[in-house]
Amino acid sequence: MRDRLLSISRGLGLLSNLALWLAGLGLVTMTVVVAYQVFMRFVINASPAWTESGSIMIMTWFIFLGAAVGVRENFHMGFDVLLYVLPPGAKPWLRGISDVFVFGFAFGMVFYGGELVIRYWSTRIPVLGLPTSFTYLPIVTSGVLMCLFSLERLVLRLAGEPVDEIAAEPTITEA
Amino acid sequence: QTVLRSSDTHPDGYPTVEAVKHFGELLSEKTGDRYSVEVFHSAQLGEEKDTIEQTQFGVIDLNRISIGAFGTQVPAATVTQLPYIFRSADHMHAVLDGPIGEEILAAFDAVDVVALAYYDGGARSFYNSEKPINSPADMAGMKLRVMQSDIFVDMVAAFGGNATPMPYGEVYSGIQTGVIDGAENNYPSYDTAGHAEVAKFYSLDEHLMVPEVLVISKVVWDGLTPEDQVLFREAAKESVARQRELWAAKEVESKAAVEALGAQINTVDKQPFIDAMKPVYEKYVTDPKLQDLVARIQATE
Amino acid sequence: MEYWILFGVFTLLMLIGTPIAYCLGIASFATIVYLGRPAIVVFQQLNSGVSAFSLLAIPFFIFAGDLMMRGGIAARIISFASAVVGHVRGGLGQVNIAASTLFGGISGSAVAEAAAVGGIMIPQMKARGYGADYAVNVTSMAALIALLLPPSHNMIIYSLSGGGNISIADLFTAGIIPGLLLALALSITAYVVAVKRGYPTETFPGFRKAGYFFIVSIPGLMLIAIIFGGVRSGIFTATESSCIAVIYALLVTLLVYRSLSWKAFIHSVLGAVRTTAMVLFIIGAAASFAWLMAYLKVATHLTAGIAAISSDPLLVLLMINIVLLLLGTFMDMGPLIIITTPIFLPIVKAFGIDPVHFGVIMILNLGIGLNTPPLGPVQFVAAAVGKISVWEAMKSVWPFYVAGLVVLGLVTYIPALSLWLPSVFR
Ligand code: NA
Ligand code: NA
Repeated sequence: MRDRLLSISRGLGLLSNLALWLAGLGLVTMTVVVAYQVFMRFVINASPAWTESGSIMIMTWFIFLGAAVGVRENFHMGFDVLLYVLPPGAKPWLRGISDVFVFGFAFGMVFYGGELVIRYWSTRIPVLGLPTSFTYLPIVTSGVLMCLFSLERLVLRLAGEPVDEIAAEPTITEA
Repeated sequence: QTVLRSSDTHPDGYPTVEAVKHFGELLSEKTGDRYSVEVFHSAQLGEEKDTIEQTQFGVIDLNRISIGAFGTQVPAATVTQLPYIFRSADHMHAVLDGPIGEEILAAFDAVDVVALAYYDGGARSFYNSEKPINSPADMAGMKLRVMQSDIFVDMVAAFGGNATPMPYGEVYSGIQTGVIDGAENNYPSYDTAGHAEVAKFYSLDEHLMVPEVLVISKVVWDGLTPEDQVLFREAAKESVARQRELWAAKEVESKAAVEALGAQINTVDKQPFIDAMKPVYEKYVTDPKLQDLVARIQATE
Repeated sequence: MEYWILFGVFTLLMLIGTPIAYCLGIASFATIVYLGRPAIVVFQQLNSGVSAFSLLAIPFFIFAGDLMMRGGIAARIISFASAVVGHVRGGLGQVNIAASTLFGGISGSAVAEAAAVGGIMIPQMKARGYGADYAVNVTSMAALIALLLPPSHNMIIYSLSGGGNISIADLFTAGIIPGLLLALALSITAYVVAVKRGYPTETFPGFRKAGYFFIVSIPGLMLIAIIFGGVRSGIFTATESSCIAVIYALLVTLLVYRSLSWKAFIHSVLGAVRTTAMVLFIIGAAASFAWLMAYLKVATHLTAGIAAISSDPLLVLLMINIVLLLLGTFMDMGPLIIITTPIFLPIVKAFGIDPVHFGVIMILNLGIGLNTPPLGPVQFVAAAVGKISVWEAMKSVWPFYVAGLVVLGLVTYIPALSLWLPSVFR
């Protein structure tokens, strides 16, 4: 049982790294796009129309992918006011309750984000020409990942794994 | 009493904001105070793209929107975004107040809002920091910021200009430093955004006269009795006269304000501009129904 | 009741230790459900809150700062700067403030500035034995200089919210002296705190050595000139300059210093993604929260009382400042300017207060709010770069708050600080 859990966890780790690397690729792509925008406008005097909305689209993707990774790597910022006051035994409880809320909100991202995606499939983003749904897909994708990662934390904590002791910013494991 | 929440991106006191407030007063009168309207001005509830979605989902009840913000979602309304489709404000009023106007209003039903009335959004013209524009040739190579819309981008390209994407908030410093040469808007926005301070040349080519619409959420509309629906439409139609008055006054006021700032305003012979729009019309008016609609608008006196 | 739900749920979740973004999102969700309106708007705002081109400056400046740090640009600049001002007690605090002032003339975003200057300075300060809290607090407060010095997009928002009749050129000019005053006040504070904590004084290495440090740091220092010159001469916009900073940092570290390894590059990219995602996810969730606050007219209700009690312009300004500071703890600057300007401006005008003067007051006041929890985006960025919790930063931020509030007081009660310079240029 425990081995099974840990192997699932390793799989989720790979998924999280994949999301992080895609997000990193997004940042690099965005750099190229904005540089291209400046170059085409200033040097060639032929501004491409799509670069503004294109770069915003890329940014929303990597923000939401990165935010999902944040759930697994535990780098989202919160206030630990009560932890200073309560005995150490309270920590897993508080963290557990938090994870339930994270799961709930992430589920909302999937559900309501999904509604937005379905609803705006036939309308188009001006100039980009993509369905408006592409604006809302990052929320859904991120929501799914956040659900998985928060569940993982909940289950591992119940199984006695030290999920709350991992450093806030773990060193990156290069693939 | 039911308070209906309405969104507007313009600040308090702007003609559209005041018109929707007036609509609310008329509505209260007609319904014996059963309904009133509260306007959330200055984009407090979001930009137009966002508030359209909020209206569609019934999060907010009413919305004053530029038809341009619907993009090509409502094909019949797309024609009002074609450059030079209206010859003058009078021509636009004649079209919108007649059967064609009703036809376009009805087309909004397909996107889950009910369009109640048109308001004036004025004529948009180009302004820049370089020189007066008298013919399309003067725009050759000019970097001009337009709204994110395929039609407007293609329009600038057809004039020989360089449609340059830029967030509206950066246009002022963009013109000041020379990242772009100019932009386009109506008198009130040219004035209130301060762009007249940095782009002195305002050339009245009046390429766009995109009307504003007052829409109500379909969710709310379907909950009204047929009698109330009639009252809503009446109140909306009656608020139009007030809005047009306020708009005309605002344009005069803004014109004086930009002139005081040193803006140099020139009129242009529109014909060469209109001629340059042929490829744009060919690209966007392909549907025979739309071609017919364009022909009927052009035939309206 | 809906206020209790919005603020109650938020506070409760925050106490439990739920990440701030989720506190904001869930409180908004609970409130909209209570109101019986479609909850979809919460998730729409979550997205549209991060869909703005000007926000690109955040990931880019974080990325550029990280590259400059890992690629050795920052270290060389710091070596030069500490050679020059290192003999002042807590010299790096002074360098931080000077750098913030320089960057403030290029960028109008305090968040981006905290990322840019903090990204370089905070790790260096920590490495040289400065407390992380000190580094974070100097950075986050000095970042506010960017709001006051031109360019400042928030001043444009203010002008538009005030009906558009307030000259943006005047507003820009009006912010210069208050901006420099803030730099001075922070500089004094940083010195005093540094003396108290016994932060290092480096010995002056001699002119030869200082000259050498200057020459090797030129490629890095050039970035400021390139950004400044590029923006002023219209090659790129202030937002785009953040991307140019990335490209330039890459070129210098790859071609000039040849100090950036592939591995360090990957670290930079992934690190920037993490920090950006954390900050912007909060900004997105805050957009939902701000939407609810606008919908419930929280700001209107809070401020409506003022007109009733007031009689004296000095008292009015005091009350308005207090209300803005309170609102600023919970809300972001842009929405607050938009919502409160139409309410406050007619009041202050009636008391004979100049709209340009009031604009500077508002920008500085709400700027301080960017450094106050629960919603303090600038503080979050600085704390994230410094790898400490906001809680830790808060423990020792007080002297810097005092400096900010003293400047706010001076700017509020000496109108000439704002209005003299525009009158010279007019
Ligand atoms: Na600035
Ligand atoms: Na705050």
